[in-house]
Amino acid sequence: MAETKEKSLSDEKPKPRVRPIVRLGIFLISHSFHVSVVCCTAGVLALFLLPVLAKNTYISENALMPGSASPMLSNQHVSDGNRLVKDLTNPNSKSSETGIESHKIIAQYMLDLGAEVSFHKFHPQMNQFHPLHFFSSPDSGKIQENYSCSSYGINTVGIIRAPHGDGKEAIVLVTPYNALKSGFGEALSLGIAYSVFSLLTQVTWLAKDIIWLVADSQYGEYAAVAAWLREYQTPKFSSLSTPNAEMCPDVNNLFELKGHSISGSKFSNSFRRAGTMASALVLKVRDQNEQFEDTISIYAEASNGQMPNLDLINVVNYLAVHRQGLRVNVEKLWSLLNSSWLKSLGEIFESLAKVAKSLYPKWKFGIPATEYVEGTATLASSLYYQALGVPTGPHGAFRDYQVDAITLEISPKFSLDKVWRNDILLRGGRLIEGVIRSVNNLLEKFHQSFFLYLLTSPSKFVSVGVYMIAFALLIAPLPMVAASLYVDANSSSNCSKGDSSTPSAITDTDEHSIAIRSWRWLNSAKLVFIVHLWGAIVSLLPYFISQIPDCSPTTSFMIWVLLSILSLLTLNSVLASPLACAKATQEKEWALVKSVTISSVFIGLGLMSVINFATAEIGALLMVPMCLLAQPLKLDVRAGTLRSFCRMICNLVLGHIAFPPAAFFLLKGMLDGFGNANVGDFWMWVESLWAWNSATYLFIGMVQLPCWVLCISILFHTC
Amino acid sequence: METFINPKSLFHLLLLPCLLLYSSIAYNSSPVEAAMHTNNWAVLVCTSRFWFNYRHMANTLSLYRTVKRLGIPDERIILMLADDMACNTRNKYPAQVFNNENHRLNLYGDNVEVDYRGYEVTVENFLRVLTGRHETAVPRSKRLLSDEGSHILLYMTGHGGDEFLKFQDSEELQSHDLADAVKQMKEKHRFKELLIMVDTCQAATLFNQLQSPGVLAIGSSMKGENSYSHHLDSDVGVSVVDRFTYYTLAFFERLNIYDNASLSSLFSSYNPSLLMSTAYYRKDLYKRRLEEVPVTNFFGSVMETIHTDAAYKALSRRNSGRFEDEMSLDQSVHHIKRRMLIKVNDGDEIHDINPEGEEGASKCPWSTFRKKFQKAENVDSLLNYGLVAMIPLLVISTWLVQ
Repeated sequence: MAETKEKSLSDEKPKPRVRPIVRLGIFLISHSFHVSVVCCTAGVLALFLLPVLAKNTYISENALMPGSASPMLSNQHVSDGNRLVKDLTNPNSKSSETGIESHKIIAQYMLDLGAEVSFHKFHPQMNQFHPLHFFSSPDSGKIQENYSCSSYGINTVGIIRAPHGDGKEAIVLVTPYNALKSGFGEALSLGIAYSVFSLLTQVTWLAKDIIWLVADSQYGEYAAVAAWLREYQTPKFSSLSTPNAEMCPDVNNLFELKGHSISGSKFSNSFRRAGTMASALVLKVRDQNEQFEDTISIYAEASNGQMPNLDLINVVNYLAVHRQGLRVNVEKLWSLLNSSWLKSLGEIFESLAKVAKSLYPKWKFGIPATEYVEGTATLASSLYYQALGVPTGPHGAFRDYQVDAITLEISPKFSLDKVWRNDILLRGGRLIEGVIRSVNNLLEKFHQSFFLYLLTSPSKFVSVGVYMIAFALLIAPLPMVAASLYVDANSSSNCSKGDSSTPSAITDTDEHSIAIRSWRWLNSAKLVFIVHLWGAIVSLLPYFISQIPDCSPTTSFMIWVLLSILSLLTLNSVLASPLACAKATQEKEWALVKSVTISSVFIGLGLMSVINFATAEIGALLMVPMCLLAQPLKLDVRAGTLRSFCRMICNLVLGHIAFPPAAFFLLKGMLDGFGNANVGDFWMWVESLWAWNSATYLFIGMVQLPCWVLCISILFHTC
Repeated sequence: METFINPKSLFHLLLLPCLLLYSSIAYNSSPVEAAMHTNNWAVLVCTSRFWFNYRHMANTLSLYRTVKRLGIPDERIILMLADDMACNTRNKYPAQVFNNENHRLNLYGDNVEVDYRGYEVTVENFLRVLTGRHETAVPRSKRLLSDEGSHILLYMTGHGGDEFLKFQDSEELQSHDLADAVKQMKEKHRFKELLIMVDTCQAATLFNQLQSPGVLAIGSSMKGENSYSHHLDSDVGVSVVDRFTYYTLAFFERLNIYDNASLSSLFSSYNPSLLMSTAYYRKDLYKRRLEEVPVTNFFGSVMETIHTDAAYKALSRRNSGRFEDEMSLDQSVHHIKRRMLIKVNDGDEIHDINPEGEEGASKCPWSTFRKKFQKAENVDSLLNYGLVAMIPLLVISTWLVQ
């Protein structure tokens, strides 16, 4: 057999045998244009198909068993909660300027239940730009020196120890509370938490300790929670806290008063801890509400698009909908809800699904158009908030310590009568109790369900395996186009004299010149490297600009832009000038630059998709078309065909849109209207990004901006 | 407890009446292939951990309570519980376990002897218990000290699948392992009959590899079926009992130790629509007809009673060699005593002993012998007749010696 085969082979012309995968690669590279068009279209289409492909959520962890126990929260507990609400809203309690009275009341209530109580005094940390603190966990080392006694917050912490538990785990319940200007909503949220707390002091089934943190939100909810968490997780062993306490007699007073008035009780001056946090719930009640039914909004996005385990959201959603009859909301981009093009897209999908179903009854993937529009709006907001990388509430502080946490915001249909208040206390309390009991059943951390997902409704999600397809399709053409451009640039310059690019022609040419030419891409790589270096410098500039005192956002932004341009010119003249002249002479230089740019963008997007998928997805939507279409405008003008004209227009439009500030203003205009757009807004936005250590900031500075600059330089290439 | 003597050994006895001494030795040492049912054991296993598997422990404890109520003593029950639900911190009722939401019955009350608890419940330990291969330090209370006359109930519950049963969330018992253990037990004469009852998903698949005779197996569900929990106790917050076990218990609640319900009535009591699965039993390895086997043969400690004509039958049989010496001393007295004993016993044995044969015992001993041999009914009277037959022989031999 083998011999005959060999014979038949030897009979044929001796051909270099190419492995199928290599042949496939060559085929894809040679048809890179068609491949990229197909892939990009498919990628965008897949993104719009995500709401259709969303799956229903399910409780993945067996141990949770939400709703299997009947709620124990009774009217007695509700009336306890009501009592606290009354005491807090009582004008007498607000007499003190620092709001210490309210904290005392809360602490007294906690003590009466038999809980361990302590105050946690903290100084709000200013959000500052720490260039080296991206991705690093917050540490206790950064303690500021300049504390003033006037600016401190007091968190009140109550801890219930599990009666039979080992004290190794804890569940945290957080209620932000601003003692100075608390609305009725905040008092109500405290009432709900208190009624649950009073129940939990009596039950026997606790396996985890319960921590109730009344976070002093006068310096922001997040700051208070983050300060408490920092203290909890990274204990300070220095004696820094003592001099601080001495410096501020007011605080000392507070502590001592309490210590004396209730001697022998469970009040303590020191910081109290319980076990490892299994999960955390932040509870808020919104003040005004004009909706028709009681709603509960879930906020889950933490820094850098991290999400809590889906099971936590599932549990809350299940209990709220099926047990307490509350409507559950997740964030939506409301502006998308009324868009007609989305509606028609949904209708198209719906009719397509109908056709598919008539062809084969088992294909059931269609969803109604209205549901599609809502799903898309939710998905868009999910993508947006994840891409932003800024936590949507105090729960974000927990995620930094790998604790699953969400913020629940109850928006009751507003009315002032007592029955309604009791009702919301009862239902909210039972919801919290149910979630706590469910989490209490957990044996390990949340690990069973998804961490990487996008929500399309409170009960529907798109998992990482599905949404990655859209992204992968979008960036798949990049390496192919880069390779094909590289091959083209080499071969076309090789065969400037000849017309064919057969292997024989190549063998004819001088080997030395081939060697030089094949290394020519290094020039382009150098250019790309310089631009990326510039990107890094631009990303660092705000650190220095923010040191300038008394600078309005607009001026800061202007300074930033000026410095950026200046640094680009300097870098170009210093590093790239000797090569620039050589570059100009070469033909097809722009193709090589484009090839290297595309490669770098591919790497950047790939890396970013691991860190924060949503940012990478949005970035890919902007950058991939721009990179792929970029071609010197001169060539298009010279060609003069309709096709080149279209491409020119596309290039110009994309060149405007993909510029980060332009993209920001466009997005902002789409969401809020263009009326109040201000140049300084971009500075503010960027400031917030670095304040939250968002990787999106790095992405914009070091991937998107250099890419844009390179594409613009290709567009205006003189060839 | 009475030991049933098979016809073969009887045959030995009768064939060589003159060598009674030898034969009695042979009787004591010969392997007994079909020993009588003399004792009952129960091995009750809950294989799953974690609070949400509360029902498995409740299942096992309920069955423990039932077999105890029906007469199996604690020292003959090996109870294996993979987790301690009673003292789980999540238990709203500390140190109590319920199998019904009415909370009428605390299964974890007094006198619960758990032999293997927590992480001791492993596949290894389970197989060691079955096969009896323990380390020397293992106390007797943790061993299955069954013998060739034992009826064993093996009850297992947990999470299972196709031909396996999960132990402790980390190990599996495969159907091969179970079949091998049962085979070893059979070879080592550790049971007479074995009833394996399994309440898991796809329980029937666990019996696929069994091949030892005397094994009866019943599972809660067929291949591809799930076994479901019966109801949720919203107070405790977990499901408290599985359907198959619930209906098994419901069946036994109606019974007491004196009832004669048969295994077939138990097996036919399972209603697939209530179980939401099909209870499957495998009886091809089991010889007796299920209609004739009372459930108390396995779930209780009720055995077939064999009436004896001697108060200390075992003594009289085992020491028959010694009797001979005594008899040579005072033959006549002994003879009379024996005869009287027979007559006294005859009065009691109304149903199975032919009065006519007893009448003829003194007149025509050999015909009675034949009859008795055919019937193989009353061993002791036969023995006694053998002894009587010995007397002339002894007389002749002593006469010859003199």
